[in-house]
Amino acid sequence: MMATWGCRFLLQRGAQLISRAAAESPVQLLGCIRTVKTTTGFEEHLTEDNQKYMRNLMAEEYRSQTAERLNPLKDEPWPRHEWTEGSRRVGLVAVKLGMAPIWTKTGERHPVTLLQVQDCHVLRYLPKEEFDGRSAALVVGGKNVSPFYRTEKEMEMFRNAGVPPKQKVTIFKVSDNAIIKPGTPLYAAHFRPGQYVDVTAKSIGKGFQGVMKRWGFKGQPASHGQTKTHRRPGASGPGGDPAKVFKGKKMPGRMGNTYITAHGLKIWRVNTKYNVLYVHGTVPGHRNCVLKVRDTVLPSRHSTVLSPPFPTYFTEEEGDLDEDLFDENLFIHTEPSLTLT
Amino acid sequence: MVTRTVCQVFQRRFASTAAALRPSTAEVRSQRNAVFSREQARQRALYPRIEKIEVSMMGPGLDGTLLIMNKGMSTPLSCARHLTEHHMSNSALAIVDGEPWPLHQPLTHSCTLTLLTFKDSDPSLVNQAYWRSCAALLGQVLETAFKDDYTVELLSTPEVPVTSGAFCCDVVFDPRLDSWTPSEESLRSLTQGAQQLIHQNLAWEPLEVAPSVALEVFSHSSCKQEEVEQKASHSPKGTVMLYRCGDHVLLSGGPLVARTGLCSQYEVTALHSLGKGPWGHHRRAQGLSLPLQLQ
Repeated sequence: MMATWGCRFLLQRGAQLISRAAAESPVQLLGCIRTVKTTTGFEEHLTEDNQKYMRNLMAEEYRSQTAERLNPLKDEPWPRHEWTEGSRRVGLVAVKLGMAPIWTKTGERHPVTLLQVQDCHVLRYLPKEEFDGRSAALVVGGKNVSPFYRTEKEMEMFRNAGVPPKQKVTIFKVSDNAIIKPGTPLYAAHFRPGQYVDVTAKSIGKGFQGVMKRWGFKGQPASHGQTKTHRRPGASGPGGDPAKVFKGKKMPGRMGNTYITAHGLKIWRVNTKYNVLYVHGTVPGHRNCVLKVRDTVLPSRHSTVLSPPFPTYFTEEEGDLDEDLFDENLFIHTEPSLTLT
Repeated sequence: MVTRTVCQVFQRRFASTAAALRPSTAEVRSQRNAVFSREQARQRALYPRIEKIEVSMMGPGLDGTLLIMNKGMSTPLSCARHLTEHHMSNSALAIVDGEPWPLHQPLTHSCTLTLLTFKDSDPSLVNQAYWRSCAALLGQVLETAFKDDYTVELLSTPEVPVTSGAFCCDVVFDPRLDSWTPSEESLRSLTQGAQQLIHQNLAWEPLEVAPSVALEVFSHSSCKQEEVEQKASHSPKGTVMLYRCGDHVLLSGGPLVARTGLCSQYEVTALHSLGKGPWGHHRRAQGLSLPLQLQ
């Protein structure tokens, strides 16, 4: 490598400067000093043995890197992108197991619902044009069931994904950089403690219900002369001016068995061995019902979705997670609560 | 310096000619298919006139049933068709005069026939044949799953007992894939390929050929030719059994079950490295599967 000549300009602060070459007169305010800048390759200051070792090491590293990037099979894995602001990930399909109490480090008791992710797989990718023209979607299925009660068309979809037939098949709207290959399994570690989720499920059906249970009307007093009127709606509207009952008037009818979403539920704990999410509060649906879990749409909880596993959690990439992941405020019973110094 | 560049130039030139000489996988497959069909047609043409043979059925409820079948054309499956649909869909292997006989192979003389299912009291023969068929299916999947620039050579499948827990298939890949380890996703795509083949419900057509025909079938693969010679020397009649599934021709050491549709819950579980061998870097693919009838 050739040594290059460079110049350095110095500011004189009233003191005489030492100049190597007598190129410029030292009396000026600015002095110019010629310095020798040496740029070397990585091999110049190594010994012979070290040079040989470095050459072999680089060659091996490049070979192993190219081998990892090789996709010799005909159906290549889909490219994985990084999380950006405004990208939406896929959600999971889980089963409601039940509820349990947890305690925070400050001693507050909160009820949590346990949701287990059983056999959740991505079934199909719907590009923007096929879905609704605005965003792409992924069809996700959860909880294996017998194939005898599934139609031929459904069985064809399961067969194309290479997956056993599922009980619940749902669609998640997804941004283009979060699409996943059909057939990929999804695990509970897709969500991390401290994140907020929305859970959608069919609420428990109550049948035909009166106006007090269905809409929370006050009804009428039990005594003091009420004749046969204790749980009735009472008046149905203003009177003579409209002379009609407005559409959408709250009246008795069938209650429950509809899809309800609970927003902004915090995840306290994730068990990676049994794929269980511990989600704050209550969740619509009965025990063992299948529900949809996705990242929250609430704008006040957006900051907690920073750097999640994107597009999803892959066991081969982050295989060494602990069996239990806890939120930082959660009190862990198995750890010592007091330390004596 | 000069010699190094000269060597590189020569390597590149020879590499391109070598690649051009090696025929593509599609060409090899069509050639093997053509030879197989030709030999099959020739063997069928050996019986121009229909001659009758007597086949006596053995089995629970069938003892002594006599069927009059055609020589060289009727298979144990056609005998089952004369009985009931249960026999047709559930029989996996047949025993003709005491020796195991694939269901699609034509009968050539009067004999006693027993149809075997997976639910017999002693299913060891059927289980072994099922394990062999699953290994053959694994070999077919491995050959078709890779891109056309990478060569895949199937070696002889080792005879693994059913109790060991998995069936395996030995392969040698292209030298460029020596340091490639399959990810979980590649194993999943191999499993999906196998499940597609199972859904197509292809039949394993058997053909008993002379070693010279087998050598012609595998003319592009030297390790297969060696295997043919080995099997020919071991067999009592000096012939070799070839099977065709779809358009893939393979060599097997024993009888295979009738159709791919008899397998279910097929999973390719792992791909292990066995180290350097005479043909290159040996790999063993391992899989697990259960028959449909045992669901």
